[in-house]
Amino acid sequence: MHWHRPHLFIVFLVASVSSPILCPQTEPPIYKKRYVMGTVFEVVVYGLPTDRASAAIDKALDEAVRLDHVMSNYKDDSDLSRMNRTAHFQTAEIPPDLYRVIEESLPYSRLSNGRFDISVGPLVDLWKAAIRGGPMPTLQDEARARDCVGYRKIELIPPNRIEFHSNCMRLDLGSIGKGYAVDRMAEILRAQGVRSAYIDAGGSTMYGIGTPPEKKGWAVHLRDPSSSLNPEVMLMDNSVSTSEQTADSALGGESPGHIVLPTSGKPLKTKYAVNVVARLATESDALSTTLLLVGPENGAVMIKGRKDVAAMWISKDGDRTVADNGVQIFRENRAGVQTDGHSAGTKISGSPNQK
Amino acid sequence: MNRMKLRNFLRSLILGGLLAPQLASAAVFLRISGSELPAVHDMGVKNLVFVWPISDVSAVRKVQAQGYQVFFEASIGDLSAAAENAEKMNIAGIILAMENVDGPGDNESFRLVTAAHPRLSFLLLNPGGKEPQMRGRLVVERNGILQVSSPTSQPWVDTNLALVKLARAFRTDVIPLYSFHWNLSDALRNKLGPAAEDYCLAISEANAFHADVILDLHEKLQQGLVRKESSAWAVWNNVKRYIAFEQSESAASKLRPVANTAVVMDTVAPSYEGLNLMARHNIPFVVLRPGALQPKLLESFDTLVVFSALNSAAATVVGDFARHGGIVVLVNLHGEFPWHSLEPAHRDKQATVYNVGAGQVVELGEPVIDPEAFSRDLRRLMGSQRTTLGLWNSLTSVAIADRQDSNGETIVNLVNYAFEAEPVQVQIKGHFSSIRYESPDGGCCQYLTPAQRGPFTEFVIPALFIRAKVHLYNQ
Repeated sequence: MHWHRPHLFIVFLVASVSSPILCPQTEPPIYKKRYVMGTVFEVVVYGLPTDRASAAIDKALDEAVRLDHVMSNYKDDSDLSRMNRTAHFQTAEIPPDLYRVIEESLPYSRLSNGRFDISVGPLVDLWKAAIRGGPMPTLQDEARARDCVGYRKIELIPPNRIEFHSNCMRLDLGSIGKGYAVDRMAEILRAQGVRSAYIDAGGSTMYGIGTPPEKKGWAVHLRDPSSSLNPEVMLMDNSVSTSEQTADSALGGESPGHIVLPTSGKPLKTKYAVNVVARLATESDALSTTLLLVGPENGAVMIKGRKDVAAMWISKDGDRTVADNGVQIFRENRAGVQTDGHSAGTKISGSPNQK
Repeated sequence: MNRMKLRNFLRSLILGGLLAPQLASAAVFLRISGSELPAVHDMGVKNLVFVWPISDVSAVRKVQAQGYQVFFEASIGDLSAAAENAEKMNIAGIILAMENVDGPGDNESFRLVTAAHPRLSFLLLNPGGKEPQMRGRLVVERNGILQVSSPTSQPWVDTNLALVKLARAFRTDVIPLYSFHWNLSDALRNKLGPAAEDYCLAISEANAFHADVILDLHEKLQQGLVRKESSAWAVWNNVKRYIAFEQSESAASKLRPVANTAVVMDTVAPSYEGLNLMARHNIPFVVLRPGALQPKLLESFDTLVVFSALNSAAATVVGDFARHGGIVVLVNLHGEFPWHSLEPAHRDKQATVYNVGAGQVVELGEPVIDPEAFSRDLRRLMGSQRTTLGLWNSLTSVAIADRQDSNGETIVNLVNYAFEAEPVQVQIKGHFSSIRYESPDGGCCQYLTPAQRGPFTEFVIPALFIRAKVHLYNQ
C-alpha cells in the first residue's frame, strides 16, 4: 500500500526525565524502523533488556511485513491482489487477516453512507495518474471507474470467502490497513512482555502501549494546518490517526488530492485536517479518513455514542471542531501557554463537559 | 544539513572554484582509529585516512608496511604541518577538510602548501556530507527525548546527491569527495556499530553518484576483524562484495548526465534544500551557473528552475526557452520580464503563471519554504511526458542516468535506502532494445525485458535491495 496521507505533521515528544536521580531508568529505549507498506514503521520500547527489546521489535515489524504481503495492492503476489483478480462473480478464499480487515472496514462504509469505501481503488488510480502529472480524467473515465465502486457489492461469506458483485471491483485497504497492522504489532509486543512502547506507522497512525518511564502518557503533537493551535494528545493504550487531503500546488497548477470521494468520483475538497483518537489503531485509522470525508458537522454526530473516541478537525485558518464523549482528550498550547481548549471561532461538539 | 554546515559547504564551493586540486580517483577511503588492520587484500580497500595531528605515528608506519596507502586529513590551519610530515613519511596525500576554509587567505595558504609539496596529492573534502539512510520520524536524543524528524509520512531519504551535484557544478574538474560520521546516538546501534548494510549503502551511494567517500571504520568492527571474529568478517565480506562491485564503475568524466531539468544558480544558500528534495524526488537535473544560460546549451532541457537574478539578456533567453515549449520556474526573483506584457493565466498569493508561447513561466513570489511540496509540485508541473527518468513503486530509491557518448550506452544507477528488496519499475525516455542489469547481490548480468510506451522504455528490476546498475543500448 503506497497511498499515503501526506503532510502529517505529528510531533512526538516523549519527555523522559534527563536526571538519573529523578528517573532511575536502567534500560535505554530501544528503537528500530523498517520500510513497510510504503512508509516507515518505527517502534520504541522501554523497560526491557536490549536483546529482548530488540527481538520483540523485530517480531512486531516482521508482522507488519507479513501483513503487507497480505494487504498490499502494489505486490502482484499479495493475497489482496490475488483476490482482486479472482473474486468477480465467484467466491474466492482469502486468509483470515484479509477477511477480518475487510469485515472491520464495512461498518465505516455503512456509517458514512458510502463515503468511506475500500472499493474506491479504481477511482483513486484514475486520479493518481493526474497527481503524477498525467492528464485529468474525462467524465467518461470517471463514470467507468465509478461503476466499479460500491461496498454493497462486496459479499463476505464466513468464515473465509468473498465475492465481488461487479466485474471490475478492486479493493484498496490504504485507509485501514496500517491501523490493522499496528494493532497486531501491539499484540505481539505485549505478548513479548513489553509494557511501555510506541508504534508509529508513517506518522499517520500512532499507538502507545502503557506509558514512557516517569510519564503519564505518550505526548503526541498533532497535525495543525493553521500552525496556531499546537494541539497534542497523551496516548496510553490507545491510538491516534491523522488524515488530510493533499495540499494545493504551490506552483499554481491544478492538483487533485489523493483522497477521493466515492459518491462524487472526484478528489475531496476540504480545508480540514482531522485527528482521531480511539482505543484501537484500526478504528482511529479508518475513522480519520471517514471523518475527513464526511466533515465536522456530520462527523461530530457519528462520534456521539462511540466509546473512547474523540476527533478534532482543524482548518487552515485555525477554526477547529472537537467531538468527544465527555473526556477532554486533546490539549492545545498556544505560544507556550496551556489553554483549556477553547478559542474564538471554535465549535465544540458532542461534549457535554465542554462549553 | 544544518545552517552552520550549509554555510561552510557554500563557502567551500566558492573557494574551491579558485583551487586547483591535484588528484581525484573514484574510491572508498577508510578512516581508522586503531593501529591494526588485516592485510590489504583481505580488506579490499587500500586507502586509509588518519586525522591530523596523528597521535600514534607507529600506527601509520605499521599500515604503510602492510601496503596501505595513507592520507592525512587536515584542517586548513594544520595543512602545512600535515604536508611536511606527510612528505617525510611517504604519505600518499593530504585531504583538506573544507569545513572551516574561508576567504582568500586560506586559498593562498593552500596554494603555497601545494606548491611546496608537488609530490603530494591534495584532495578536497566537501563538508555537509550526511549518513545515507531512510530516516524515521523519531529521534532518540542523548537525554532520551524523542522528537519529530520529518513533517511528512513519505519516507524521508537522506541522500548526498544534491551535495555531489553542487560540488561538481562548482568544481567541474574534480570528483567530489565527502564524508560523514555514523550516528551512534541510538543505544542499540551504539552497542553493535553500523550494520553491513549501512556500509554497503554508503559505498553504493557514493559510487552511483560518481563521488569518493570516506567512511569511519567502527572501532568494534576493526577490532573484530583483527581478532578474526567470524561475526566481524561476516559483516566485512558483505561490504567487500559491494566494494568489488563498484570497482567496475566507469569514469564519471566519460559520462554525460541524462537530465531534462537545469537549475540555474550563482549562490547556493537559498536553494540548497530545494535541490536536495529534487534529488530525492528523482527529478533529473544539472546545475548551471548563470553565465551558461545560452540558447544552445538549453536545447537539451525542457524545464528550467532559476534561483539567481536574470539580467535582460538572460531574461530574453529564458522567455525564448518558454516560448519554444519549455517550463520555467523563477524562485523569488522580482523584476520586469518580457512576459509581463501578457495576462497571467493564474495568480494567487504564492505564484503567478504566464502562458508564454508553447510553454509556461511560473513566478514564485517567495523562496522555497516547503521543499518537499516544491519538488512534488515541480514534478507535477513537468508532467509525465517531460520526465526523462521515473521510478514507480519505490519511494526509498534514488536513480541517476548517464549517457556514454563513446558507445551510446546509457547507464542507470539505482540506490535503495530502505534495505528491503523490492521490484522497481523504471521508465526512461528513449528507445532501448537491450537492458542488462547487475547488482552486488545478484552479480552480473541479467537481461531485462524492455517495454516501449510512447517515447519511453520501461523495465522492472526484480528486486532492488541496495544497489543496481542497468546498462541500456539501442541495437
